[in-house]
Amino acid sequence: MFGKLSWDAIPFHDPIPLITSMVMLLAIAGIAFWVWRKGWWPYLWNEYITSTDHKRIGIMYIVMALIMLVRGFADAIMMRAQQSLAIGASQGFLPPEHYNQIFSAHGTIMIFFVAMPFVIGFMNFVVPLQLGVRDVAFPTMNNVSFWLSASGALLINLSLFIGEFARTGWLGFPPLSEKEFSPGVGVDYYLVALQISGVGTVLTAVNFVTTILKIRAPGMSYLRMPVFCWTALASNLIMLAAFPVLTVALAQLMLDRYLGFHFFTNDGGGNSMLYMNLIWIWGHPEVYILVLPAFGIYSEVAATFSGKPLFGYRSMVFATMVICIVSYCVWLHHFFTMGAGADINAVFGIASMIIGIPTGVKIYNWLFTMYGGRVRFNVPVYYLLGFMLTFVIGGLTGVLLAIPPVDFVVHNSLFLVAHFHQVIIGGVVFALMAGYTYWFPKAFGFTLDERLGKAVFWCWFIGFHLAFMPLYVLGFWGATRRLQHIPDPTWAPYLHVAFLGAAIIGLGIVLTVVQLLYSIKTRDQRRDVTGDPWDGRTLEWLTLSPPPHYNFAVLPDVHGEEAYWTRKQTAIKQDQLIEEPDYQPIEMPVNTPTGVIVAFFASVCGFAVIWYIWWLAILGLIGAFAIFVWYAWRDEHEHIIPVEEVRANARERRRIRMEHLHNLSQST
Amino acid sequence: MTENEDDLFDVAPGSPHNNVLSEYVAYVIGLGLALGLTAVSFWVASTSSLWGPGIATGLVVLAIAQMGVHLVFFLHITSGPDNTNNVLALAFGVLIVFLVMIGTIWIMAHMNANMSASPELMNLQMQH
Amino acid sequence: MTTEAATIGLTHGGSEDTGLGHRGPESKSIVVPYGFWLFVLSDMVLFSALFASYATLVHATDGGPTTNQLFDRNLVAIETVALLVSSFVCGLAMITAKRANMMATQFWLLLTGLLGAVFLFIELYEFTKMVGEGAGPQRSAFLSAFFTLVGCHGAHVTAGLLWLGTMMAQIWAKGFQQHITRRLLCFSIFWHALDIIWVAIFTIVYLIGTLP
Repeated sequence: MFGKLSWDAIPFHDPIPLITSMVMLLAIAGIAFWVWRKGWWPYLWNEYITSTDHKRIGIMYIVMALIMLVRGFADAIMMRAQQSLAIGASQGFLPPEHYNQIFSAHGTIMIFFVAMPFVIGFMNFVVPLQLGVRDVAFPTMNNVSFWLSASGALLINLSLFIGEFARTGWLGFPPLSEKEFSPGVGVDYYLVALQISGVGTVLTAVNFVTTILKIRAPGMSYLRMPVFCWTALASNLIMLAAFPVLTVALAQLMLDRYLGFHFFTNDGGGNSMLYMNLIWIWGHPEVYILVLPAFGIYSEVAATFSGKPLFGYRSMVFATMVICIVSYCVWLHHFFTMGAGADINAVFGIASMIIGIPTGVKIYNWLFTMYGGRVRFNVPVYYLLGFMLTFVIGGLTGVLLAIPPVDFVVHNSLFLVAHFHQVIIGGVVFALMAGYTYWFPKAFGFTLDERLGKAVFWCWFIGFHLAFMPLYVLGFWGATRRLQHIPDPTWAPYLHVAFLGAAIIGLGIVLTVVQLLYSIKTRDQRRDVTGDPWDGRTLEWLTLSPPPHYNFAVLPDVHGEEAYWTRKQTAIKQDQLIEEPDYQPIEMPVNTPTGVIVAFFASVCGFAVIWYIWWLAILGLIGAFAIFVWYAWRDEHEHIIPVEEVRANARERRRIRMEHLHNLSQST
Repeated sequence: MTENEDDLFDVAPGSPHNNVLSEYVAYVIGLGLALGLTAVSFWVASTSSLWGPGIATGLVVLAIAQMGVHLVFFLHITSGPDNTNNVLALAFGVLIVFLVMIGTIWIMAHMNANMSASPELMNLQMQH
Repeated sequence: MTTEAATIGLTHGGSEDTGLGHRGPESKSIVVPYGFWLFVLSDMVLFSALFASYATLVHATDGGPTTNQLFDRNLVAIETVALLVSSFVCGLAMITAKRANMMATQFWLLLTGLLGAVFLFIELYEFTKMVGEGAGPQRSAFLSAFFTLVGCHGAHVTAGLLWLGTMMAQIWAKGFQQHITRRLLCFSIFWHALDIIWVAIFTIVYLIGTLP
C-alpha cells in the first residue's frame, strides 16, 4: 500500500539529520503560523504565489535560492569540520555513509537549487525591464517553471528526514548509483527531484529565448540590447540545448534502477562510461549557463559605476555567443582520465584552452570600461574587483587542468575542487551578490545598507581565499576529493585554515541576513525615490521602484545603444521630460494557481515514485494532467488595467522625475 | 537599414504562408516526395545491386532529404527573411544534435577500443 | 495581421510587426508557435542523446538477440506510411481550420488520430512480441537502448494523441478562437516533428541496423 515507505524511513537513530529535520520543520511551521497570524497568506497567494508577473517570480526564485544556500552551506561547513577533525587516528563526527550524503547534497543543492534559481531569478526580474517590455513571452509558463523548481527543492529537503540522500556525489555516476550498489531511496530522490526541476528549466529556456528574440521595445534591435540580455540569451540557448541531454542520462539511469534496464550496469552489456559522456555533455554547458549571466551582471555594474558606456560592446556580444557555441565542444575535459586516448584528449584539451580566449576578451573590456571612468566604489564594484582577481586565478588553474597530462595528476583531487569553487564563487556567487545589491532597490524601493554590504563582501573574499587556497596545495600533495578521513597529519594545518575560511564565509552569510533585516528596519533612510539610485544606463532605471505591475505606461521608443542613458541626458540637457504620450488601457495576464497546483501533483507523483507507491504516482500524474486541461479550458487570459490608473501612475512618475531633474540641474 | 518595413514581419513556424504554392499543393507534393523517398530507402536497404559499404551512407542521405521535405513542405520552413529566426533556431538545434551524436560516437568508440586488452578479452567482456 | 490579438499590454505606436525589433513586440500568433518550435528543437536534442546512446550500445547484445534477428521491415514499412499519411492529413486539418470549417477539421483530425493509433498499435504489437520472445529491454544493453529510443518516440506519439483528443474537444466546445487555433498550430508542429524523428529511427535503427 505504501511501497517501500515505513516508519524506518525517519532517522530516529541518526542525531544529526533528526535534529536538523526537527529544527527545519519547527522553523517552517513557525513561519507559516506567524504569516497566518499577521494575515499575510491572502496577500502572499495573490501577489506572489499565483503571480504571473516576472518581477514577483524572479523574487521568489531568489528567495528560494537564498534559503537553499543556507542548507548547502550547512553541508559545506560540516564537511570542512569533518576534514579538520578526522585526521590520523580520529574518525571525526560523520561516519562515511553520512559524509557521502552530505557532499552529494552539497553539490546538488548548490548547483541546482542555489546557483540556477538565483541566476534565473535575476534573468526573470531584469530582462523584460531592460528590454522595455511588460513581461516575458509566456507568463503562466514562467510561474509553472518556478513551482516545478520549488517542487524539486522540496523533494531534496524531504530526503533529509524521510529516507536518505544519494551517496554518489552530485552527478550520480554509475555503477555506484545503480540499484546493485545503491539500493536505497537516496539516488531516487536525487533523480526524481532533478527531473522535475529540469522540466521547469527547459520551459524557462523556451520562455526567455522567445522573449529576447521576439519581444522587445520598439526600436530595440539586437545590437541595442543591454549586454545582460545578450548573456541571458546565450545562457538560455545553452539551457535549451543541454538540459534534454541531462534528462536522457538521468532517465536512462532511472530505467536501469526501476525497470532493470542495462544502460550503465556492469552486466548485460551496459556501459557506465556512456553516462559520464552524456552527463558531462550537459555538465559543461551548465556551468556556462551560470557564468554567462554573471558576466552580464558585471558588464552592467562596470558601466554604471564607472559612468561610462561598456567598452567594446560588439566584442562582448561576439565573445558571449562564441562562448555559447564553444561551451559545447569541451565536455571531455571532465574525464580526460577515462581512457579516450591521446587524440581525443588533445582535441578537447585545445578546445578547453580556446574557450578561455573570449573570456579574456571580456576581462579586458571590463578593465577598459573602468579605465578613464569615475569609478564609484559601491558594494557591487567591490564584487566586480574581487571577481577580477579571483576569477582570473581560477580561470588560469582551469587552463592548467585543460592540459591532459597535468589533469592526469590532479584529476579529482582537491586542486580540482579548489579550481571549480574558485570560478563558481569568484565568478558566479560574487556576481549574484553584486546583482542582489544592485537591483534590490529596483525590486523593493530602498537600497541595502552599504557598510554591512562591504562587510559581507570582505567575509566572502577573505573567507573564500582562506578556505580554498590551501586546497590547491593539498591537491598537489595527493589529497583526493570527498575524503571522509584524512590519512596524512601534515595536512592538518591547511585543513584548519580551510575550516576557518569556511567559518568566515558563514559569518558573511549571517551578515547578509542581518543586512537584510537591518535594511528593512531602517528603510526610510534609504528610500529610492526616483527609481534611479545608481545613475543607471539601462531601461529598468526608467521606472519607479518598485515598477508597476505592467512596468511601463507606454513602451519606450529606443533610438540607440544605452536607451535609457541617452534619453536621460537629453532630458537633463533640455531640462524637460519627453512629451507626455497618449495613455491606453493595458492588458496584463491574470494570476493563476496552475503552477503551484501542478507542482503539488508533481511532488506527490515524485515522492510516490521514489517510494514505489504506484497508485499514488498515477494519481499524481492524473492530477497534473487534469489541472493542465482545466487551465487550458479557461476563457479569461488577461485583465485590463484602466487608463485612469495608468495615467495616474505615469503622472506621479513624471512629477518625481521632473523634481529630480530640477535638483540635478541646480546642482550642476 | 532600408528594408521595406511593411513586409518585414516574421512568420510563425509551421504556419502555411501564401507566397508560392497554394496550401494544398504544398502538402500533396510533400507527401508524394516523402513516400517516394521512403520507398527508395526501403529498396536501397534490401537490394544487392548497390555497392555494400555505400548503402548506409546512401540511407542517411535519403533520410536527411526526407527530413528536409518535411521541414519545407509540412513545416513551411523557407529561406525568406521572414523566416530567419525559425531557420536560425533550426540551425542551432542541428548543430547541437550533430555535436551530441558525433561527439558521443567518436568518444565512445575510442573508449571501447581502449578498454579492451585483446579481442579474446573483449569477447569475454561483451558476453558477461 | 491587424485582426490578431495584441500581445501583452501593447499600446501606443508599437505595431505587431517586427523583423529586427524595429516595431516592438511581436503578436501572440508569432510568439507562441516560435516558443513551441524552440521546445521541439530541445526535444530533437533529447532524441539525439537517445540516438547517441543507441549507437554506442547497438552491439552490446550480451550474447542475446541482435537487430537482424528481431526487426521486421514489413511492419516498419506499414508504420512509416501510417505516420506519414497521418502527418499529411494533419496538414490538411490546418488548412481547413484556418478557414474555420468545423466538420472538415474534425474529420481530418480524427483521421490523424486514427492513423497515429494504427502506428502505435503496430509498435505495441512489435514490442510485446519481442518481450514474449525473451528480447525485452532487460535482456541486454542493446535492447534497453532500442526500447528506450523507439519507446520514447512512441510515448511522444501517445502524448500527442492525448493532446489531439483534447484539442478536438476544445475546438468542438469553443470554436476556432485565436488561442485555440494557435494551439492547433503547435500540435501540428509537434506531429510533423515526430514524423521527422521517425524518419531517423526507421533509417538508422531498422534499415541500417538490418543491412546484410
